[in-house]
Amino acid sequence: MNSIHSKRSLRPRKRGRPFLYFIIPAALTVGVILVFPIIYGFGLSFFNWPQVDDGTRAFIGFKNYLDLFQDSLFWRSLMLQLGFIFIAIPIQLVIGFFVAILFNNDFPASGLLRTLLLLPVFVLPVLSGLTWKLMLQPRYGVITYLLSQIGLEFPQGILSDKSLAYAAVIIQDIWRMWPFMFMILYAGISGISKDLIEAAEIDGASFYQKTFKIILPLLRGTIATAILLRTIDALRIFSEVFVMTKGGPGSDGTMLFSLYIHKQAFQFGKLGYASSMAVVLIVITLLFAFGLVRKNMDIDTA
Amino acid sequence: MRKVLLVLLIVLFSTLMFSQTIKVLAWDDAHTQAWKALVEEFEKETGIEVELELIPSTSMLQKTSLNVTENKANYDLVAIDEGNVAKFGDLLVPYKDWPEGDVYPKVGTQDIPAAIFASAEWKGENVGIPINGNMYVWMTREDIVNNPEYKEEFRKQFGYELQVPKTLDQLMNMAIFLEPKGIFGFAPFTFNSEGATCEAVMFFESFGTSVMTMKDGQYEVTLDKEKALQAIMFYKDLLEYSPQGAMNMGHGARIAAFSDGLVFSMFQWPGIVPSHEDENESLVAGKIEYTAPPAGPDQRAAVRGCWILGVPKASDNKAAAAEFSYWLNNHDAGMKLADEGMTPVRTDLLQNEELMEESPWYAGMAEAGKYAVSRPNRTTHYPEYSEIIKNNWLAAVTGKVAPEKAVDTMVSELNKLLEKYE
Repeated sequence: MNSIHSKRSLRPRKRGRPFLYFIIPAALTVGVILVFPIIYGFGLSFFNWPQVDDGTRAFIGFKNYLDLFQDSLFWRSLMLQLGFIFIAIPIQLVIGFFVAILFNNDFPASGLLRTLLLLPVFVLPVLSGLTWKLMLQPRYGVITYLLSQIGLEFPQGILSDKSLAYAAVIIQDIWRMWPFMFMILYAGISGISKDLIEAAEIDGASFYQKTFKIILPLLRGTIATAILLRTIDALRIFSEVFVMTKGGPGSDGTMLFSLYIHKQAFQFGKLGYASSMAVVLIVITLLFAFGLVRKNMDIDTA
Repeated sequence: MRKVLLVLLIVLFSTLMFSQTIKVLAWDDAHTQAWKALVEEFEKETGIEVELELIPSTSMLQKTSLNVTENKANYDLVAIDEGNVAKFGDLLVPYKDWPEGDVYPKVGTQDIPAAIFASAEWKGENVGIPINGNMYVWMTREDIVNNPEYKEEFRKQFGYELQVPKTLDQLMNMAIFLEPKGIFGFAPFTFNSEGATCEAVMFFESFGTSVMTMKDGQYEVTLDKEKALQAIMFYKDLLEYSPQGAMNMGHGARIAAFSDGLVFSMFQWPGIVPSHEDENESLVAGKIEYTAPPAGPDQRAAVRGCWILGVPKASDNKAAAAEFSYWLNNHDAGMKLADEGMTPVRTDLLQNEELMEESPWYAGMAEAGKYAVSRPNRTTHYPEYSEIIKNNWLAAVTGKVAPEKAVDTMVSELNKLLEKYE
């Protein structure tokens, strides 16, 4: 009896092994590139770990986390980061959604235009930042010039004012990433059956009704995916802001969270403290992801 | 045949046994590319092989900190930015203990200005040798100074000759004079980066006060409020005569403004100067005079930021590493290296007429070297001190915070940090 049972129990395992072998390379790669650094960083967050070993590297428990919550610049950078997300992403979503609806109708050269609209996404973030910095330059910047033509003068430059610099950073991101939203939403809208829309039209549905009663509900999952991807991306925004403002003007004008982590790690050499911030960033990202997936993707309803 | 093989084997064995190889870590730019171009000459002269590893300057700190520790040195010679001397000072062989060179003589303050030599100072003694003379050089538009109409007009208005400004007051007068002519007297550095700290240090020192001073191996905040306020107010006034965007001006904007012929006089780092002298990039090439910065009420102050070469205590090839450093700072080799793009640090090279013809700013560097001042960077936590200096200086000069409040905050925040770390 025992031997029969053991033979049976062995069979599925034998069948399962080849799959395991196929997974191993990917699992190892993810483990080395992603999981190990996260675990290492998490461990480091409990240490005083200066970049140069000056003999003060030591386990300090939760001190980094306690210091973090008393650090006013940490809270400021967190608020700036969240503000960035809650302003930029909804605007990108709205623009992307309506442009996707527009392109869902065929019109001359729509294919070409659709391709051209995607161009900003392909611009490297650092190049985008440098280009915007140049366009906002007070003496020869094209945007500054155009604004001056409508009576908006900024003799000291837009990037020298905290609020304007923050707005500029957000607008730069909107410009670069709204086509990403468009791309995903357009794919979603294209997948909606034309019959549904036509049926609604026959029933006399207005544009508002078609958009908000039919298209939007059917796009819920797609929108959640788009927001999730953009949020994760926006939480780690760094290079474009770094080249545009380096976190300024002043000490914290555009000091987004990732810039503050970079400053603590590579300017001040406090790798332990920076790791504790990175852990907070991971937790925030996971919370966002969990919330969006749970509410909009019906994963846990089975 | 056997004998020939035996001889070959012996030669090979002895070559392997007795030839020395040193590993050198340095930043990658025109200076160090010049080393690379001529390193074979050194190898031939000395029989020492050099493995030169050049990496971006931004990666130097990380790479050095991973490869040079108390017990381990993966490099025999490392280039260290002056700002990081405090981080590695204890791991480096004091310069007084470096052996005399077999081929090239050991260099000293007779060869390199003492104020520049001090860039390698740590805990009262040098732990290396400066390798590039990197300090503020003052640039003034010669064509404006020599314009006969301007000269006459200026003399009538101010009672003295229009010239390269020798003092900050003269600079202010000239800025006032040139404003109606559409020329900006000065281009500041107000971008949110280390350059702003350098400006603060230059102006505080020129007005006779130091932000922090080392006493008995410990830093103290020594900023004199009255002098600091004078410096800030003066700088604020100068900003009135600066190009658009003066409140957030970094290297790029300054270079463009000066090269476009909009600015009369400003400081520049020597590494950037060649772009102002390049006719393809600059409208003012060949029209610039180079001097030490103008004097404030107290002194001239040229902020220094040299790279030094240090030999790790854990290196097994200290003598060979020292020899390589002496070669780099040797007069004859220096002439050739300068031709290849390295900015020399020796006084005789900076004042060499042949080199000055090619690189007219060398004379200014030699002059500025006499007035070199350092930032308070002989502490491992310097970036945090610098951050406080920079933030409060910028807040004050850009009018975001009242100067009195900015100075008070600077002093109190620096003291808090000193309490925390020192």
